[in-house]
Amino acid sequence: MGILDGKVALVTGAGRGIGRGVALLLAKEGAAVVVNDLGTALDGRGVDTGPAATVVAEIEATGGRAVANTDSVANYQAAEGMIQQAVDTFGKIDIVVNIAGILRDRMVYNMTQEEWQAVLDVHLKGTFNTSKWASIRFREQKSGRLINFSSTSAFGAPGQPNYAAAKAGIIGLTLSCAAALARVGVTANAILPTGTTRMIDSIPRAREAVAATGKLPSELAEGTEYDPANVAPLVAFLASDAAQPISGHIFGSFGYNVALMSQPKIIKTLRSDHPWTVDELCQVIPHTLGPEMETIKSETGFSQKINAVPAERWVEVRPGLRYWSAQLEPYGELTW
Amino acid sequence: MGKLEGKVALVTGAGRGIGQAIALLLAKEGAAVVVNDLGTGLDGSGADTSVAQQLADTITAAGGQAVANTGSVADFDVAGQMVEQAVDSFGKIDIVVNVAGILRDRMIFNMSEAEWDIVTAVHLGGTFNTVRHASARMRAQKSGRIINFSSVSAWGSPGQPNYGAAKYGILGFTATLANSLGHYGITANAILPYATTRMIDSTPRGAQFAQEHGGKLPSELAAGTEGDPANVAPVVGFLSTDEAARVNGQFLGVRGTAISLYSHWELAAVLQAERRWELSELIEIAPETLTPLVGLPEAVQLPGMDRPARGTAPLQADPASWQVVMPGVDMWERRGYYDAKGRG
Repeated sequence: MGILDGKVALVTGAGRGIGRGVALLLAKEGAAVVVNDLGTALDGRGVDTGPAATVVAEIEATGGRAVANTDSVANYQAAEGMIQQAVDTFGKIDIVVNIAGILRDRMVYNMTQEEWQAVLDVHLKGTFNTSKWASIRFREQKSGRLINFSSTSAFGAPGQPNYAAAKAGIIGLTLSCAAALARVGVTANAILPTGTTRMIDSIPRAREAVAATGKLPSELAEGTEYDPANVAPLVAFLASDAAQPISGHIFGSFGYNVALMSQPKIIKTLRSDHPWTVDELCQVIPHTLGPEMETIKSETGFSQKINAVPAERWVEVRPGLRYWSAQLEPYGELTW
Repeated sequence: MGKLEGKVALVTGAGRGIGQAIALLLAKEGAAVVVNDLGTGLDGSGADTSVAQQLADTITAAGGQAVANTGSVADFDVAGQMVEQAVDSFGKIDIVVNVAGILRDRMIFNMSEAEWDIVTAVHLGGTFNTVRHASARMRAQKSGRIINFSSVSAWGSPGQPNYGAAKYGILGFTATLANSLGHYGITANAILPYATTRMIDSTPRGAQFAQEHGGKLPSELAAGTEGDPANVAPVVGFLSTDEAARVNGQFLGVRGTAISLYSHWELAAVLQAERRWELSELIEIAPETLTPLVGLPEAVQLPGMDRPARGTAPLQADPASWQVVMPGVDMWERRGYYDAKGRG
């Protein structure tokens, strides 16, 4: 008996990497899965029906239910077709997991319009496209789960202006959906994953690994903390009925860590009883807002921050399982 | 002597509202300004070339330097021409302020593809377009100021999936700019403004306001109030100065004369294992650890607002928690924030 028996899920980008791990676990837990994957190269070029079909075969071989879809999430009508396929094949849609994504890294001053648009279209618009069509069904049935993949790159990866903008935009879309759909029992959350996939194979650091081992990083990830399949349990949890109270939040899946993120919030406010002048602000800001203004940075390396938490700050909740919280919020506004 | 003598600025969406107030202030402080405004309706339809020209004329008549530009920021090449116009007219580009924006509000389940596309193209695409071209110039001259406009709608506005996505996307984009351009002497910061503009006129509260005020829309009566768009301009002026060289990658809320500094994304709580989590473990342990922290956040209701606003804690905080900085100026600080972060 699986936790997700009777549920129907669409997982985009499910042919490889993180998406594959998610599709396999949802199916193992009893969900029927539409396995969507266009089968493109990492930069979005080309198509291949193989990856989606292979994952469907894997699921069916272990007694699960799945059907392949090889359309592009960037296409509004094709996304409608994915939801329709779930309904036609399995009777409804309960869970949408938006993972499909591509990379076109470039510094902003060198980026082409095409590099910007291709990445925005797949990540941000692709997430809108499936969410829009699914939310119509969710609203009617008064239940549903939107689980959208963002990235820590959203918080300022230097060579990824397109990817960062899209992944941050996905958080904004998720929060809007959470607020709009709360009254009809639908939740929307975002995940920042890690996982050594072909996206990691494409970065400069990967070449060193190839030189040292003769294998790509993704080929060595299975069974380690870098295994993209490590993300799947968090997705399955958010998809389950147990996560009904959780909506409008950002989670991190960093190796073997499951993290809840705190979003930007006001930490200092400066106020005047008269309209400011530029001159006044130049004088007042340095010794009021200044110290924090000059030190706060957008950072993307949360695994290192977790590793830096002192041992005595962890609470062991079960043997081998630990919990830590930041307790940043004297005003009771933990996450926004 | 203005604070921005010799600087050259491009302000998009400068024909009306917040953009207009910024263009006027930058010009008053001595900057030469490319006044960009397509002159569209709030929903992005139509165009009126007189809107930008009028403001450029006003600035010139007051002894300032300005030229009008009526192109759309949503067009990559047209945005490039705006930057070129600054260079052709005034010799360089120092400051880019991305204010241009439109609204097409709709709940996610009713939103059309066109409503999604045009709002994300103008706000997020438009911000990329001007920055892409300006940053190439700024990198060559090893200095520059990029000031992007986000919104508190990014934190979860139910009827604005397009606008909320675009405005949150602008935060991520700004963070990336800060981290990639800082070593060229370029700063990038984002503003989350509050101002009573035609965007506010278009809300249900705007219509109600008009009924109660003899047909006058909120924006027509905003001058001198908290919602006066002119209140947003001084912060932009500050960020544009040489004195703000070390302010990079910050998110600043502006509401009336209150200027708020935001923290950035941080870890709130972590569950850690020594191997992959089992789903059953998460289901068992989350209710005693994560779930109590993550109920859908209660939005904050301020008096006189048509919908809850987030990020307003200081305004609701105990008045005694404000400390006087100097006569007429006080400051609120989130109690214990840095203590909690272990920074003493």
